[in-house]
Amino acid sequence: MRLIVNGIERELTSEPLEPLLHALREELGITSPKAGCQEGGCGGCTVLVDGEPRRACLLPLAAVDGASVTTAEGVGEPGRLSTVQAAFHEQYGIQCGFCTPGFVLATTALLERNPSPTRDEILADLGGHVCRCTGYVKIVAAVEAAARGDVSADALNAGGTGSSRGEPEVVVTGSPA
Amino acid sequence: MKAVGTRLPRYDGVGHVTGRTVYVDDVRVPGTLWAKALRSSHPHAGIVRLDTTKAEQHPGVHAVITHEDVPRNVYGHLEALGVPADEPLLAEQAVHYRGQPIAVVAAEDEATALEALELIEIEYEGRPALLDIRKAFDPDAKPFHQWGPVFPHFGTHTSRRIRKGDVEGAFDRADLIVQGVYRPQAIDQVPIEPQVALAVPEPDGRLTIYSCTQAMYFSMGVVAAHLQWPLNKLKFVGGTVGGGFGGKVDTATETISALLALKAHRPVKWRWTREEEFLASSTRAPWHMEIADAVTQDGWLLGRKMTTLHDAGAYTRFSSYGVTKHSFHHPGAYTIPNLRFDGYVVYTNRTPTTAMRGFGVTSVSFAAEIQMNRIAESLGMDPFELRLKNANRVGDLTANRVRLSDPSTVPVVLAAADRIGHELKAEYRQMTNAPRSGELLPEHLLASVGGGS
Repeated sequence: MRLIVNGIERELTSEPLEPLLHALREELGITSPKAGCQEGGCGGCTVLVDGEPRRACLLPLAAVDGASVTTAEGVGEPGRLSTVQAAFHEQYGIQCGFCTPGFVLATTALLERNPSPTRDEILADLGGHVCRCTGYVKIVAAVEAAARGDVSADALNAGGTGSSRGEPEVVVTGSPA
Repeated sequence: MKAVGTRLPRYDGVGHVTGRTVYVDDVRVPGTLWAKALRSSHPHAGIVRLDTTKAEQHPGVHAVITHEDVPRNVYGHLEALGVPADEPLLAEQAVHYRGQPIAVVAAEDEATALEALELIEIEYEGRPALLDIRKAFDPDAKPFHQWGPVFPHFGTHTSRRIRKGDVEGAFDRADLIVQGVYRPQAIDQVPIEPQVALAVPEPDGRLTIYSCTQAMYFSMGVVAAHLQWPLNKLKFVGGTVGGGFGGKVDTATETISALLALKAHRPVKWRWTREEEFLASSTRAPWHMEIADAVTQDGWLLGRKMTTLHDAGAYTRFSSYGVTKHSFHHPGAYTIPNLRFDGYVVYTNRTPTTAMRGFGVTSVSFAAEIQMNRIAESLGMDPFELRLKNANRVGDLTANRVRLSDPSTVPVVLAAADRIGHELKAEYRQMTNAPRSGELLPEHLLASVGGGS
């Protein structure tokens, strides 16, 4: 089996009927797709296969032979976040983070297809992703911010070696005592 | 106070959005074995025969453990607080709930571990299961739990009791008695990250345990107790939890992973499937609550009698703690001077129950608030005014005899009325939580505000 994973060509020795999720996590050590339910129900294992969001837990390796697979690791990296990643970070569309890679990838595909989705379109498109922490309000806000391109340079550069890790910039929004 | 009122980036946000955050299941240690558990297929049964020989001999299997491999099999989650233990880590002569772990296998990979489970020979002797707490007290009910139908260790009592004031006198004086029964059901926490642990034997004889627990030092103590090890031989790595909501307070996977790792001399990971999560991970408890309130025609709550049955499932875990919290909150956010409360921890052949967001309190808050609506309806009174009239105020004495210094009932009820545009009479709209006086300090409340009982 052969895959292009995050732009790098990989030969795999996993069995053809192994789920793509298992091959990514156990053979390649790419761990952002999560084994949340392994039944296609939670969206935590979502990856992009030739740009389309797919449940890696239900997808046999044989069905994606030769395809290009993108995971959250390949969308951006610390210091150089994608617009979608920066928006999720900046809008607090995350809490425990376990479902976040799936949401980031689904949002990336959505905005590729439909750069200005309505709120209803966002809800419909991300409906297959389960988050137990946030209540979704801030996730939807993050998707809307990403669609508007409303992300700060600080957020895009967050996590880079040049960023001030210990002393983040303080933006005063309330009235300090 | 640099952080208050400011908008700070999440310290873990970059890791989360780039997929770099390392959860327990993402830790990679060469040579890691997979664990799989043989779980009870019965809600209640005797184990007549258990033979793991063929599983042990299956190629690729490195260890199989049963209760005989656990240095101290029965350990209670509340033992450190003086509550005796009642739950085996692995079932011994009987199983008390469907999904209860009996034997666990560590093998080269997940598929081999599952094959080995099929080779474990087990014979059950089915027994009647108790699944409805209301039947636990039937004369012909045969308690399966060693302590009988209910937890008997609330001091010398079999229930968490609250006795405050003269409740019979309050019911004698009442114009109306309003009764209600409330039965919220079990809820699974459903974190997206299933229960998982990775135990790694270190060359110096210690164990490193990667854990998704919500309670690191507590879980460390539980593992040490089962292993009969000193704490300094355990190194716990945790804090990165893929959702917990109370469900990861119980130590679900760490101890068994540790025992397998020690027996196999290899790192062992035990990750539950979603099916195991729903079948065997502890849930929020189902509750059965019966309330009777003595009220006056002008809207005072003179007294409350309440009986609560808390479905503990098959073992105690934290149930008695949950019922204690529940008892403290049983008048809701209101001051009721005369109280009689009995809360029972009832054993059933269900998955043991545990913490979930507001452990013990959400159930009683639901019941108490619906009960207030029913009282208001029975009296033909505005439900907001009923609440404001009986609201906790500065100086009031709670069910568990705490003198309130800053109760929030009045401001919260006023804010709720405001948000839905509910008109209130001026005397209610202008209320504060200031100490009682005048019309808000009728004779029946004097004892609750003063130093009396």
